[in-house]
Amino acid sequence: MLQKKICMVGMFGTGKTCLVQRYVHSLFSVKYLTTVGVKIDRREVQSGGQPVMLMLWDLEGRDEVRNINPSYLKGAHGVLYVVDGTRRDTFEKLFEIRDLVKHTIGDVPSVVALNKSDLTDQWTLAAADERRLGSEGLSALQTSAKSGTGVEAAFQRLADATVAPTGAPR
Amino acid sequence: MFEERPNGATEFAALRELLVGPERQQLDELADRVDAVAVTPHLLADQLPEAIALRASRDGQLGRALAPTIETALRESIRRNPREVATAIFPVLGPAIRKAIAETMAGLVRSINSAVEHSFTIQGIRWRIEAWRTGARYADVVIKHSLVYRVEQVFLVHAETGLLLAHVTAPDLDVPDADLISGMLAAIQDFVRDSFRPAEGGTLSTFTVGEHTVHVEAGPGALLAAVVRGQCPEVVPQRLQRTLEQIHLEYGSSLGDFEGDAAPFASATTLLEENLETVLSTDRTAERGARAWLRWALPLAAIVLLAGGLATASWLRWRRAVRLIEAEPGYVVIDASRSWRRWRFRGLKDPAARDPRAVLAALGSAPPAVAGDWKPYLSLDSAMVVARARRALAAPPSATTALAGDTLRVGGSASLDWMRTLRTAPAIGGVAHIDASAVQATLPARIGELRRAIEGTRILFEPGSARVTEAEAAKLRGLAASMRRLADSVAAIGASVRVELVGRTDPTGTDATNQSLANLRVDAVIRQLVASAVPVAALEGRPVATARPLAAADVAERARINRSVSFEPVVSIGTAPRGP
Repeated sequence: MLQKKICMVGMFGTGKTCLVQRYVHSLFSVKYLTTVGVKIDRREVQSGGQPVMLMLWDLEGRDEVRNINPSYLKGAHGVLYVVDGTRRDTFEKLFEIRDLVKHTIGDVPSVVALNKSDLTDQWTLAAADERRLGSEGLSALQTSAKSGTGVEAAFQRLADATVAPTGAPR
Repeated sequence: MFEERPNGATEFAALRELLVGPERQQLDELADRVDAVAVTPHLLADQLPEAIALRASRDGQLGRALAPTIETALRESIRRNPREVATAIFPVLGPAIRKAIAETMAGLVRSINSAVEHSFTIQGIRWRIEAWRTGARYADVVIKHSLVYRVEQVFLVHAETGLLLAHVTAPDLDVPDADLISGMLAAIQDFVRDSFRPAEGGTLSTFTVGEHTVHVEAGPGALLAAVVRGQCPEVVPQRLQRTLEQIHLEYGSSLGDFEGDAAPFASATTLLEENLETVLSTDRTAERGARAWLRWALPLAAIVLLAGGLATASWLRWRRAVRLIEAEPGYVVIDASRSWRRWRFRGLKDPAARDPRAVLAALGSAPPAVAGDWKPYLSLDSAMVVARARRALAAPPSATTALAGDTLRVGGSASLDWMRTLRTAPAIGGVAHIDASAVQATLPARIGELRRAIEGTRILFEPGSARVTEAEAAKLRGLAASMRRLADSVAAIGASVRVELVGRTDPTGTDATNQSLANLRVDAVIRQLVASAVPVAALEGRPVATARPLAAADVAERARINRSVSFEPVVSIGTAPRGP
């Protein structure tokens, strides 16, 4: 079966681990994140008419972009950027993170998850922000780990992009 | 001459033109063509390998000329992209380094061995005792206890992505999350590298979890990890290293182009399976497979030991047989020999001696064929004399016989008829006299009954009295009749009988009083018996008073029955001592 390494990156507290928990049944304890700095899960999806095993590397979120460990990004076939829609700073730092990823592993398919979409009253992102993402060549969609909205779609979109990278969102 | 010179030169040129003109023109054309031919890259490419080979076969000039250039090129290449060069020489470098390390390690192991050899731990002592007890070498015992391990799983992990390329497990194991473990193995490698920043190329090679040890061999394109249960010997990581090198050789390009499809690595499972292994402590001989000589030496030693054991057992049995015959009365062994199937004896044998087979029955199991060349002789061994005498006298089993000097003492019991034959016994070698005084004659049933009736009768007295009461007097009259009948019956078989009268008292009173009381009681009874026609000569008084009291549980009863006179008939048959 085709396997793809997907890295989940984002600032501290954006909900990466919750997204993964929502998406897969976890084997490893969350403690791995704070001890080793990464936790790996997997989920099988159908993409391009074949089964694909997504190996999800959930990287520990940090307060500073420079503290994100680039070693774990090595060899990634796709990256899921996670932004907390209720915390504007996590959106601002996204571009910095994207640069770090690009610098480390080059251009790989990616999707931006604008997470916590269930908290509409605290939402800080405007339509203009989403347009900015588009202009930066980033494909974004709103997700909620709490309600499950958009979670499947985000991973599916990324899976499709990694299996057939040509013409897919970057 | 001066003026002629120019003219001469002109003439010479003219002459030359005349003689070699066409040839010169050809020569000039050739020179022009040679100048026109430039060494093109195409021409060089065609000729270069052959040219290099040709020159190299002639001398070492080419090598010397190229060396500095190649060194510079290599240095530049390494400076620009060290990873590429490292990847290229990785399969070659491994074996070379391993060989060097193996030599160093061999020396180290030797010194460790000697340290272990001299260690004085409790375990060391226990193993030493085991070695001493089993006769094994100490080093072998140590190996037996330490070499127990099992390689349970082997993971082939893509170094860059951490994705699982191939995975094999021991037959009875089920590992559903191999891909996750594979990822974490790669992640942990990264984690350790980032955390401790080891020197170039350093990796986490071993970690232990309970009784499991995980060995990780890292190559430029892939990691090979083995999960080992138990004590992992050095051979496991060495084999992993070789497998990893082989994988890099065979799958180098697939590793480089890996995009998540592990299909090209399916065939690598065969290589991985070579690393799966279960070694139990009982396999330790198999572990030393290189020492193939053990395979035949051990059975051979067993056969030699068995044959030696059997031969020794047979020899010991033979020695015992010879000793048995020598110790047997009536045998003198002069010569004894044995072959595979027969034991031979030569010597003297008393005709009364037991059969040799009966003697050898003491060996337990049936001896082989026994051949005896025995000359008859008379043994003076007491056992033989006794045996001979018993045979000559036809002694019944109830009669005992023993030799004292040259006198045969006969005891036990025997019939009166047999006792009479002793008087006319034939001469017996080794016996001068026969003493049959201790033999109890076996009496006819009638006599026995009378004897028991007399023995069962007891005449009782009042305390302190020697007067025979009326009731006791009646008993005495019956007793007198029994005595007369016994005397008649005994006389009929040519023997005589005498009855001892045992007079007793109770323990009351002084010894002197009791003794005289006993005398009186005996006398009183004798008088009554004589009055009833019992010949006095057949009676013998034995007043024991309190010396041999009759036993009874109750004190009063004991006193009562001891105030009595009881009767002990003695039948005697006169036998005269006789010589041979």
